[in-house]
Amino acid sequence: MLDRRSFLTTSSLAALSLAAPGLLGRASAQGAALKIGVPVPISGAFAANGKFATIGAQMAAEEVAKAHGIEVSTLDLDTEGKPATAVRKVQDALAQDGIKLFAGGILSSESLAMGKEIERGGGAFMTTAGADEITGADCNRGTFRWSVPTFGAINQTVRPIIEALPDAKKWYTITPQYVFGDGLLNAAKAVFAEKGIEHVGNSYHSLTDKEFSGYLTNAIAAQPDVLLLLNFGAQSSDTLRQAVSFGLKQRMTIVVAWASGLEQFEALGPEIVEGVYFGAQYWHGADTPLNRELVARVREKHGFNPNYSFAGSYIISKLLLDAAVKGGSPEGAAVIPQLEGLKYAGLTGEEEIRAADHQVIKDYYLLKGKAKDAMADKDDFVDIVSSGKSFLSPEDSGCKMPA
Amino acid sequence: MARAGTYPPDFRRDRVIYLFQILNGIGLGMLYFLLAVGLSVIFGLLQFVNFAHGAFYLLGAYLTYDLTQRGFSFWAAMPMATLIVAGVAAAIEALLLHRIYKLPHTFHILVTVGLALVIQELAIIAWGPLGGSVPAPQGLQGVVIAGDFIYPQYRLFTIAFTAVLAGLLWWLLEGTRLGAIVRGGSESPSNMALLGYNTMRINTAVFGFGAGLAGLAGALAAPIRGVEPFMGAEALSVAFVVVVIGGMGSYTGALAAGLLVGIVQSVMTTVWPEGARLMIYVGMALVIAMMPRGLLGRA
Repeated sequence: MLDRRSFLTTSSLAALSLAAPGLLGRASAQGAALKIGVPVPISGAFAANGKFATIGAQMAAEEVAKAHGIEVSTLDLDTEGKPATAVRKVQDALAQDGIKLFAGGILSSESLAMGKEIERGGGAFMTTAGADEITGADCNRGTFRWSVPTFGAINQTVRPIIEALPDAKKWYTITPQYVFGDGLLNAAKAVFAEKGIEHVGNSYHSLTDKEFSGYLTNAIAAQPDVLLLLNFGAQSSDTLRQAVSFGLKQRMTIVVAWASGLEQFEALGPEIVEGVYFGAQYWHGADTPLNRELVARVREKHGFNPNYSFAGSYIISKLLLDAAVKGGSPEGAAVIPQLEGLKYAGLTGEEEIRAADHQVIKDYYLLKGKAKDAMADKDDFVDIVSSGKSFLSPEDSGCKMPA
Repeated sequence: MARAGTYPPDFRRDRVIYLFQILNGIGLGMLYFLLAVGLSVIFGLLQFVNFAHGAFYLLGAYLTYDLTQRGFSFWAAMPMATLIVAGVAAAIEALLLHRIYKLPHTFHILVTVGLALVIQELAIIAWGPLGGSVPAPQGLQGVVIAGDFIYPQYRLFTIAFTAVLAGLLWWLLEGTRLGAIVRGGSESPSNMALLGYNTMRINTAVFGFGAGLAGLAGALAAPIRGVEPFMGAEALSVAFVVVVIGGMGSYTGALAAGLLVGIVQSVMTTVWPEGARLMIYVGMALVIAMMPRGLLGRA
């Protein structure tokens, strides 16, 4: 069975040999009946996420084409993780390729920028990015978001742990200082206040930090019962790796509120993951009909288990394409009404797209790392501890949807 | 005013936390020194600006990761990775870089930035874009506990190891005939050639040696930081800060600046956490403004 690392290596070689990864997609987009743009970082620090996302979108396109007997193509747009590049690529795709459907935007900053541009261009955009503003203060008619925002992520991780560990009264947080981190921190503080938890300290860090030993020393000094990590991606992996080397797993409970799931666990390894709690948008072991089907198909086609980047991109692409088929056009005016209020059997169970703010109401998972000898296979890193839905109302999220 | 011994627990803890941050800063600083000293040696002896230095650090870390994944112990993987990086760097110098030594520094930058990108992409092709973890070696996986504070044994090992290495490097460069030849090759290549020394070989050896030190830094850092394909860029920026603060080409300057940067960064995570990294660059700007040649740079 081809593993994920080998698959990505092979795809990287193929991309390299063609000089530019976008060329394949662009070539295949010519003359297609239904096209969807996939604006994700294919190069730079988030390239791994972007590459999985393009494969997920491609799989959704193939399925929609087969189900409806139409021609569907994807166009990969390398945002490089930069909002300015993302906007330029989306503008080009709107103007030159006539694309109206866009599924992507892994980073909040690029998603916020692209959403406005796509709405202005008469298209529809669905993203997996996390910042509350996407379906909050900066919501717009053309933008939809599948992932659970920071409020739900905290409520579905912090609350169950407080219930499970009633003696853990002192919590310490490590937070990246930008809008996403502050969203998580504010939500955590609200839960602490409600539950009588003592927030014994917080260390902010910059988005460029790689060394967290100083912050961990601060945390050790505060003697918390729980260390709550509110950073994301490589930074949360670095913090966790260094926390484990400081022996903190034996001294306190460690929680990563927003993990990227399988890809992160693979990079960390089971020795570090064991015993740590993780909040996650998706887990391939979730027992839902659509997820079981997806896992089986991805294993058969690609030889690996879908991770969050893959699954998120797959479902948002599929929702957009199905809506375009049903609406009879990829134009935003036809697609948006199909999506608003839609209830469907999703990857996390029953999911619904809330019409008022275009937020998908779905489950968020609390996972706990297993011991290496308890893993049934190489990807069986965690058990699902709990899952559930927690969302602010559209009014409380600050969304005033333009008419 | 409270007398010694009657301070409230929080005050005592605050004082202890700064002591631990300084200890942690020394650990960081020794790694930064090791990372920067190779860059400083290459610049000092070859007058060559090597923007691929971070890529050699990346290569050292990934080779250590790869070798430990293949079952080699860390103690075997670390020297093997260092030697492989040194060999690869020497080959690159002999085939490519020696042709551009006499060109302006802008050419050095262009070629070595390109080289860094090639190495980074090759690492992605070879090991994938996801990164990985390298376990600390057996016997150093625990922690040292002092009162309320904890410090990993492996980090203590890196401090001791790098301190010993720093002494050996100083002796090698300043106290041996080999060091004298290398320094002579830098000061007056033509005189060294007249004395029968092959300066091209000396340059190749110096470049391989400097890059090998970056590879060793990567190997040592791998159990602390893990590996990921973009770790070279961050390492390069720290190395340049250390070299600029310490003085281009100064061995002792790199040691002093590495420790200074590490301690400032670590202590600032308690004083002003969100500005900890910023303060490194503020410090560099202040040194440039007040001491343009760095703390111990040569005139």
